[in-house]
Amino acid sequence: MPDHLRDESLPLSDVKILDFMWVMAGPASTRMLADYGATVVRIESPTRIDTARTLQPYHNGQLGPDSSGLFANCNAGKLGIALDLGNPAARTVVHDLVRWADVVTESFSPKAMRNWGFDYENLRKIKPDLIMLSTCLMGQTGPLAKIAGFGNMAAAISGFHNLTGWPDRAPAGLFGAYTDYIAPRFSAMSILAALEYRRRTGEGQYIDHSQGECAIHFLGPAILDYTANGRVDGRHGNADAVFAPHGVYPAASDDCWVAIVCRDDEDWRRLCTAMKQETLAHDSRYASTAGRREHREALDAAISDWSRTLDAGDVQSILQSHGVPAHQVQNSSEAYRDPQFAHRGHFIALEHPTLGKFTVEGPRAKLSRTPAKVRRAAPTLGQDNQYVLETLLGYGEERITELAAAGVLG
Amino acid sequence: MSMLTPYRVLDLTTERGLLCGQLLGDMGADVVKVEPPGGSSARSIGPFYNDMPHPDRSLYWWAYNRNKRGITLDIEREEGRELLRRLVERTDFLIESFNPGYLAERGLGFDELSRINPALIYVSITPFGQDGPKASYADSDLIILAAGGPLVLAGDEDRPPVRLSIPQAYLHASADAAVGALAAHHERVRSSLGQQVDVSAVQSVAIATQSYILAAPLGSAEARRMSGGVKFGGLDIPLVWPAKDGYIAMTFLFGTALGVFTRKLMHYLCENGFCDEATRDKDWIAYGEMLFNGSEPLSEFERIKSLVADFTRVHTKAELLQLAVERGFLMTPVSTVAEVVESPQLASRDYFQTVEHPELGASIRYPGPFAKFSATPIQYRRRAPTVGEHNREVYRDEIMLSDREFAELAQKRII
Repeated sequence: MPDHLRDESLPLSDVKILDFMWVMAGPASTRMLADYGATVVRIESPTRIDTARTLQPYHNGQLGPDSSGLFANCNAGKLGIALDLGNPAARTVVHDLVRWADVVTESFSPKAMRNWGFDYENLRKIKPDLIMLSTCLMGQTGPLAKIAGFGNMAAAISGFHNLTGWPDRAPAGLFGAYTDYIAPRFSAMSILAALEYRRRTGEGQYIDHSQGECAIHFLGPAILDYTANGRVDGRHGNADAVFAPHGVYPAASDDCWVAIVCRDDEDWRRLCTAMKQETLAHDSRYASTAGRREHREALDAAISDWSRTLDAGDVQSILQSHGVPAHQVQNSSEAYRDPQFAHRGHFIALEHPTLGKFTVEGPRAKLSRTPAKVRRAAPTLGQDNQYVLETLLGYGEERITELAAAGVLG
Repeated sequence: MSMLTPYRVLDLTTERGLLCGQLLGDMGADVVKVEPPGGSSARSIGPFYNDMPHPDRSLYWWAYNRNKRGITLDIEREEGRELLRRLVERTDFLIESFNPGYLAERGLGFDELSRINPALIYVSITPFGQDGPKASYADSDLIILAAGGPLVLAGDEDRPPVRLSIPQAYLHASADAAVGALAAHHERVRSSLGQQVDVSAVQSVAIATQSYILAAPLGSAEARRMSGGVKFGGLDIPLVWPAKDGYIAMTFLFGTALGVFTRKLMHYLCENGFCDEATRDKDWIAYGEMLFNGSEPLSEFERIKSLVADFTRVHTKAELLQLAVERGFLMTPVSTVAEVVESPQLASRDYFQTVEHPELGASIRYPGPFAKFSATPIQYRRRAPTVGEHNREVYRDEIMLSDREFAELAQKRII
């Protein structure tokens, strides 16, 4: 990292990653490692734009080369170099970067790296203890290995969409590219565990990571219900297998909602007290969880009649003050004002080289002695060409000018 | 030897946070699940094997406690706490998911235990985090999804926001916790010191907004729920489309990166008589902008969506998947759980793993390794433990309790 960004106190300050990944699932994993101190050099194509750079939400609502909040969020803390991998002159630069790195990561469709000669078998020849991770929708092998696409598609084919929504309707789907939200942690922990193994044995390895396969663990009980019991689970709206009431209820303002859950009979009595509905508390139909599940519609109507008279935030505070699980259903504005998110430092305003203040999300797991840091905004295209070539690789001015003249750099 | 083979994990998690220890166990760590006498509350969560509720038959328990040994220990009593401290002396990671302060009140907080073992990495998984104005809020999966941002984005616009029917929040938090634990471990190799890893499930699930949680601070419009798709202003973009035998997910979008896929699809539709050439030749790169600035009327977009649906509706999910593979279209089937388990793709990668449950005389297929490691493949060494299954092994053989001590503790129901 450039001197002013170097921080030896960060837990991964000695880890160097050469990152060929793009869009979300891949870059979000190396963002985690960058937060913990890894030096991540991210390669971008000067001609084929990273899809994430085109996706909403945008800084000031305006599409521009650096304005995507998704791109900024997934790539904060990294160095960026623009390199045309299709250009033969890029080859030695990539090889030098591989020698520099501990870990190489990529998230293209399988074959892309092989076509450039940058697959694991080739790269380990120049760096025998290399750790390399490939992540893609369905894994490196099999009939669907080469399917192109995004996490919404991996989520659908892995069972998520069919389990989301109302039993009387088509799948309501999850928002966006759901497996892209799960996969980054699995990539990051795989890399960290492989580094630990290399530290003890001197041995690197190749990690074939399928975003669909890791995500299926998030459906574990439903998968076992089929493999052990033969049951094919479906969509249950907001009903829960255990808790009742359990739902999302209307608040006073238009399209404002509050989630309310009773985990047991005690929660139910507290809810009745909070709603000042003692008659409900004594209604024998609702005395047990089973009864409350059976009479869910009448019960939900009664709760809605009460919640509809209040602001979602007020329902939340009244119920929480009685110990009943409840929270307003927050959009971005509400989350941004939420005192808990603020206390946790979830929103971090960074200085962007061209756009000024640019807010991204903060690191997740908080380490008490060596906390993570978001050291800089996501790089603009090719922002760190000079630093990477000159300082990390030790190239002279002449060499860099040659590369530029050959059209390798962007 | 696997990646984390030399390390011992004590897993004190309740029904939340179980996945974290399993992930470390999958990567080779020796994970000991610590439960109260009688078993963890997670064992009462269904569904159950053969639909028979029993602490050793919870499929929820099975799904998230593979590769762990299991002991029982009553930390509500001092003799139990003393035993836990002895275990902590020989432990590298401790994972817990009690409400903030619960363990500290029992003398088992991070500060106390790190005095016994300064190298201990103490992982805490809670709904809102260890501190802050909502740290003691009551929670559940749905509450966390509401607070963290993903819930508002999912569902049909004429009904309330809706969650995935399988709880997700603590799985996201557990996965973040495993990364934090391993980052702390990497640092411990240099410093020989442990630390606390504090994970808030609310913050973890915020990743499932695809950065839309940043809309307000960035000055961008909020997204609205739209049946798996997305709604901007007057523009409805579905992601779930009808097929002859169910549904598919399709990315039908515009712009420099995605418009090329839409252009390819529209050419195919035209070749097969689903649209005319003028429709085919629209500027699919600029199409989104044209809809926003009004140069293309929304009614025309509605017509396009309906002819695309006419195409998807007459094909089966399998036919559409085949087309996606052959022609690079952005679509996949909306698969049922049965279709996932029977998937030819997963079969070709030997994904599902058979785990023996000898006490039931059963072999059950489990979701397979979360990644394929060339040097240290993930192995499913053991099914989830039955209640107290490894008490003798751990207390007698590892912390060397005498027969008499062991019997006495068992009799007092400390273990």
